[in-house]
Amino acid sequence: MALLGSTTLQLSLAFCGLAFVLNAMYLANRDGRFFVGAQRGLIASSLLILIATFSLVHQLMVSNFSVEYVARYSSAATPTMYKFAGLWAGMEGSLLFWLAILGIYVILVNYLNRARNRSLMPIVNVVMAIVMLFFLMVTIFFENPFTMLPEGIRMQVRGMGLNPLLQHPVMLIHPPMLYLGYVGFVVPFAFAVAALTTRRLDATWVRSTRRWTLLPWLFLAIGIILGGRWAYVELGWGGYWAWDPVENASFLPWLTGTAYLHSVIIQEKKNMLRLWNVILIMATFTLTIFGTYLTRSGILSSVHAFAGTELGIWFFGFVMLIIVACVILVLMRKDELASRNRLESFTSRESGFLFNNMIFVALALAVLWGTMFPILSEAVRGTKITVGSPYFDRITTPIGLILLLMIGIGPLLAWRRTSIGTMRRNFTLPMGAAIVVAAVCMLLGIHRIYPVLAIALVAFVLTGIVVEVVRGIGARRRTSGESSLRAFLNMVDKNRSRYGGAIVHLGVLLMFVGFVGKAFTVEQDTTLRTGESTHLQDYVFTLEKHYTVERSNHTALIADIAVSRADKLVTVLKPEKRVYTDQNNQPNSEVAIYSKPLEDLYALVGGENPESGSVVLKIMINPLVQMVWLGGIILTIGTIVAIWPSRTDRRLREKRLA
Amino acid sequence: MKNQRMRFAILIVAVAVVTFGWITISTSEEEVPYVAISELLEGQGTWKQDRFRLGGLVEAGSIAYSYDRLAVDFVMVQGEARLPVHYSGLTPDMFQDETEVIIEGEYRDGVLYADNLMTKCASRYEVEITPDETATPQGV
Repeated sequence: MALLGSTTLQLSLAFCGLAFVLNAMYLANRDGRFFVGAQRGLIASSLLILIATFSLVHQLMVSNFSVEYVARYSSAATPTMYKFAGLWAGMEGSLLFWLAILGIYVILVNYLNRARNRSLMPIVNVVMAIVMLFFLMVTIFFENPFTMLPEGIRMQVRGMGLNPLLQHPVMLIHPPMLYLGYVGFVVPFAFAVAALTTRRLDATWVRSTRRWTLLPWLFLAIGIILGGRWAYVELGWGGYWAWDPVENASFLPWLTGTAYLHSVIIQEKKNMLRLWNVILIMATFTLTIFGTYLTRSGILSSVHAFAGTELGIWFFGFVMLIIVACVILVLMRKDELASRNRLESFTSRESGFLFNNMIFVALALAVLWGTMFPILSEAVRGTKITVGSPYFDRITTPIGLILLLMIGIGPLLAWRRTSIGTMRRNFTLPMGAAIVVAAVCMLLGIHRIYPVLAIALVAFVLTGIVVEVVRGIGARRRTSGESSLRAFLNMVDKNRSRYGGAIVHLGVLLMFVGFVGKAFTVEQDTTLRTGESTHLQDYVFTLEKHYTVERSNHTALIADIAVSRADKLVTVLKPEKRVYTDQNNQPNSEVAIYSKPLEDLYALVGGENPESGSVVLKIMINPLVQMVWLGGIILTIGTIVAIWPSRTDRRLREKRLA
Repeated sequence: MKNQRMRFAILIVAVAVVTFGWITISTSEEEVPYVAISELLEGQGTWKQDRFRLGGLVEAGSIAYSYDRLAVDFVMVQGEARLPVHYSGLTPDMFQDETEVIIEGEYRDGVLYADNLMTKCASRYEVEITPDETATPQGV
């Protein structure tokens, strides 16, 4: 079976190379048979990759420890679902998984465009074939997951098992989501390159890839949020984001992707910013590959880092190739990309989008700068200088607040020019809400400038969204006489991008509320003997007892901590410190969290002090963390609303099919 | 129209200048040199910062917890160079003899007072596979 895997991979490389050559021949002499051949070759290559992936999953499932990869990341005792997660636990499997997702995208893009975008598809396929070729070569020649262990030790090896940190349900979803996001941006990128090459620079490619961009954007967002969720419940430091290079690597393409999603709207409506959009999607795709390079090369020290390998240089070369090719292509089409329309006024929706784009790009640059600073400073000054969370917090907080302000202002501006009357009509309520909320915060004793500003801005944006929706419903009711609910649903269906977007904004807003909560986190490290208590804010944490439990693959030290408030028991937290006996006695903490709507009670047990018989604990009160996860769910719903075909779309489709 | 374009150009330049200014200031005020222990020891007095980030191994047998276990002293080694470290707070799960750690903190009077202690997982992901005598033969 392992042989099947490596053989199919090699075959896949052959087919992919063939597809590339056939495509080149089609572009040279425009004989349609070459195009069809190339398309089939690429699809065959994708199917072979999928077979290879299933083969690796099968090896993991049957625990064939003769395969080195299986021996490294799985063991007979590993629960079945985590045997499956072994697919992305290591470098070799991750690369294969990356390829499998690319294969799925290739098949879908070719299927859905079978009767569309005829002039773009050959180039789209060339681009996807090049990316696939690169990853196939890297996987086959450097990181082959089907490498067998040497005969001598093969029979005596028992699997190492999956790292306990990764044995968490979120780890079954987080990596696939990130990969679906990363890889998915190849589609809009390929369409952009195709549009440039074929000089079809109108909004066709932008419209054709709207869903192809929203989908990876959503996957990436879900992946990032789940990553935060995993860190929060598993790593035991009480936070969900640490500005670790690997986190930043996933955040960067999401930022430029978000900028792109906004600026394409101007291209669709006004045929402007065409050059800018091309640059943004190219940057986004480059950042996804660059992110893979950062994570895989080990050039940055990160708690996530896989051991550094020689792979770095190849990824670096590939990133450089992409950048050079993109720059040349853009320079060649520079004049044709120039806009014929101009912005008419500062106070227009267009300039709102423009400003929003500048802020997103500024944010991305700030994060990129901080992430790359150790490397840059070493190159320039000879000393590696790092900037940690203080830098990122300091720089992203004000930029984030400006973004929040833009979320509020943008949708309230009219296209072309906003008259003074409209301004007054649209902004009075939100401004009023912001001022009232800020005043209430001050009265409640919150005097820190950023939290107050953030809460006021949240009120501003929220009121803006409500005003927008209520007005829309009113307008529909007046013209059609529908009920409010019906009017609301029809309104959303008629303009899914706009109202889906509004829902996404609502989700982002909630997440900002969660980020504000971070500023009010309190924590305490303490040592308690049985029966002893400690106070944190108005809660009393009492250690009731601590005991050790033996389980199948680990021993757990458990502390029962009763939490009460005003003499009423709230909950009993039971954090555990586990020692995994099948993992060279690796210790691993299980955090205990009790979530209330507005705050989380969080406890961690650090160990037992044998001399005093006491237990070392970390306790925290994390306000508003739930808002981050809730915001993520709403963001997901909003994006799905935006992606879902409207009734008009569906009718058009049925007509076409009929 | 001309006037309008000018105003947009000014706006864009202003945003760029403010961003770069803000990035530069934040960087210079938050920068922490990532140095080798030997560099830190040899360069004493020449650094303008007193915060450093260092990586190394925990010297076997050097871990000494305070009585309440909320602080720990240990020696970090990197090649020949040794550095005494004091850290306040709960230590991470993987913190043991011989583990690879990254610390950040202030260097005063020959001791690094760390407020950030991270253990590196990389070694855990990439363990050496060694023959296991007790395992029953496996294979397909």
